[in-house]
Amino acid sequence: MAILVDKSTRVLIQGITGKSGVQVAGELLDYGTKVVAGVTPGKGGQVVDTVPVFNSVKEAVVAVGPVDVSMVYVPPLLAKDAAIEAIENKIPLIEIFSEKMPIFDVCVVLAQAHKNQVRVLGPASVGAISPGEAKIGSIGGPNPHKVFARGPVGIISKSGGMCSEIAMLITNSGFGQSTVVGIGGDLLVGTSFSDLLLDFEGDKQTKAVVAFGEVGGSAEIEAANLMREGKFTKPFIVFMVGKFAESLPKDTSLGHAGAIVGLGYSFDEKIKILKKSGAIVVENFEDIPAAIKKVL
Amino acid sequence: MKLYEFEGHKILARAGIDSPFFVVVSDLDEVKQARKRLKFPIVVKVQVLSGKRAKSGGIKIVKNEKQLFSFCKESFGKSFNGEEVRFIILAEKVEIVKEYYVAITYDTVRRTPFIMFNSDGGIDVEEIQKRNPRSILRIDIDPISGPRKKDLEKIFQSFSYSSSDPERSRRRIEKFPLNSSRIRSNNIDNFIDFCQRLWDAFTRFDCRLVEINPLAVVDNKLIAIDAKVILDDNGLARHKDLDVTSKGAISAIPTERELEAKKIDSDDYRGSAGSTFIELGGDIAILASGGGASLLVMDSLIAAGGKPANYTEYSGNPPLEKVEKLTKITLSRENLCGCLVAGAVANFTDIYETLSGFIRGLKAVRPKPSYPIVIRRGGPRQEEAYKYLSEFSKKEGFDIHLFGPATPISVACKTMVELSNAYKELQVTSAKF
Repeated sequence: MAILVDKSTRVLIQGITGKSGVQVAGELLDYGTKVVAGVTPGKGGQVVDTVPVFNSVKEAVVAVGPVDVSMVYVPPLLAKDAAIEAIENKIPLIEIFSEKMPIFDVCVVLAQAHKNQVRVLGPASVGAISPGEAKIGSIGGPNPHKVFARGPVGIISKSGGMCSEIAMLITNSGFGQSTVVGIGGDLLVGTSFSDLLLDFEGDKQTKAVVAFGEVGGSAEIEAANLMREGKFTKPFIVFMVGKFAESLPKDTSLGHAGAIVGLGYSFDEKIKILKKSGAIVVENFEDIPAAIKKVL
Repeated sequence: MKLYEFEGHKILARAGIDSPFFVVVSDLDEVKQARKRLKFPIVVKVQVLSGKRAKSGGIKIVKNEKQLFSFCKESFGKSFNGEEVRFIILAEKVEIVKEYYVAITYDTVRRTPFIMFNSDGGIDVEEIQKRNPRSILRIDIDPISGPRKKDLEKIFQSFSYSSSDPERSRRRIEKFPLNSSRIRSNNIDNFIDFCQRLWDAFTRFDCRLVEINPLAVVDNKLIAIDAKVILDDNGLARHKDLDVTSKGAISAIPTERELEAKKIDSDDYRGSAGSTFIELGGDIAILASGGGASLLVMDSLIAAGGKPANYTEYSGNPPLEKVEKLTKITLSRENLCGCLVAGAVANFTDIYETLSGFIRGLKAVRPKPSYPIVIRRGGPRQEEAYKYLSEFSKKEGFDIHLFGPATPISVACKTMVELSNAYKELQVTSAKF
């Protein structure tokens, strides 16, 4: 069953004629994702791979019919307008791949999305993959088969690289994944750890969820709250990084904008609260498969 | 990017928020000049990024020239909470009737901006949040329409009237005369106008935080006595005209390398390299990849007993030139005993391209690095990249150790530490002979 994306998902790519747009269109088609249209203003009428390009989302939707997901692959300062255009056309899920989007633009998009009951994944999201079904975004790149395999484990990470790293570890130890989601590392994101846990709770294929936690923010705490409230009941395995940063001064911002030292809970506090709420916190990255084995 | 107080005032001023008149000085000559423009008593304030300046003696009221010069002389170049003082402001002392606390920032859980208000200015807001969070009024702001007049009125009413302590409310009325309806409506308008200006500054300049503590009533006007502003780094691209000094990742004053690294991303939005560069005390240079993996790399290296010389990362498929520049900057540090290039299995970062950038940078480093270099990567074109790298290191005589995705990051980090230790021992032994 999986979450967010499956074989029937119809995808549109905004910014399809750009370098990353062309690249991702090919990768998605190779994986079997239904890419039904692309949009680049002024380039309507062109074709990328086998995908027709339109001048606007509206034109695209009129021509190809309803779309389930729009992927935003445009430069950071144009991402807001692109996302708003998709929202206005009521596309239910918008995956924003663009990185370095100003935080005010992000919050305007999220507010507009909320009003229109549209879901946003990202910004700076690597995408989502339901192995054996389909994928959205750049997750898995051109060789997803090397890394991902179908199975019972859901994966959540801010980091795109770590999505693949964890999936590979799990695949190599004989388990597969239901859906792997990169939520993006920005301060404000459309889809959080807890949003996805609720999805995974309702997904029959998912038997356990693995999350890659980071210093800064409160994503892990929100997740812990869900467990305590009984809204997420499946085994939740967490691996936390960023301990080294605890020795840095408060407010130091690391690679992910949301990884800000001293904002919210400390590293040790997070681990304590997670454990107390029933999450399985593994100390070493390589211990993740053993933890999965125990609960499956 | 956190700003100095005087830089914060500049931004607020552009939205029409007043501060007491002040002059920024950076040496004693400038103090002499500035003194002519102000009357004693003068408020002198050191400009550092850390908070709680008043508590630590960084803010003082001076009554004469002698006090002024002795304070400035003592403060310039001195370390204040671990930060060198480069600027001091000399400000007009104003008659404050009443002080408040106000701030706008983002709630990352509710994913919305909000305004925070407290009727006691000059407070330590973090302290209050812990002790008595209810005394802080907070109202979410719809980013599309801005703060609602109705909400701002609510805030105003609450601090004007509501108080369980009759003695306090009596005092307040005395200080901020509200018994005349004309003045009251004037105050309400002032307050709403002020909040709208604060919101304007917050959004127009892409701030992550604007905080005024204290906000003071002076002559029936609202004046920002202090200004704390943090800019959103992602917004800087559309504010190239903003006149603010560069800041380091940790300290206010960036090192040469930090400055150089920051420049890499400023002209080209494709991928990122060096946006975050932190100088650390160790001897193993770090070129990590990816926001998440870079944290794992640091934790693993330190767990294995290694001491990183820096933290930096590149990600999002940056062009070759960016990685080349970042390599040169990272390896320009003296006395390195190892270099670790590590990241997770990339999704869309072209490993051949980025590692070619690394090689270009490496070739330009002088003296030629003889220390061990450990590379651990996976992803698009990784095998091709490794083939090229092993030929290159053989031909050019570098000590490069390659690990693919089958080797865990932690193992690569451990190997790095072992190789680096062996290298150090060899250095000591060869120095003996």
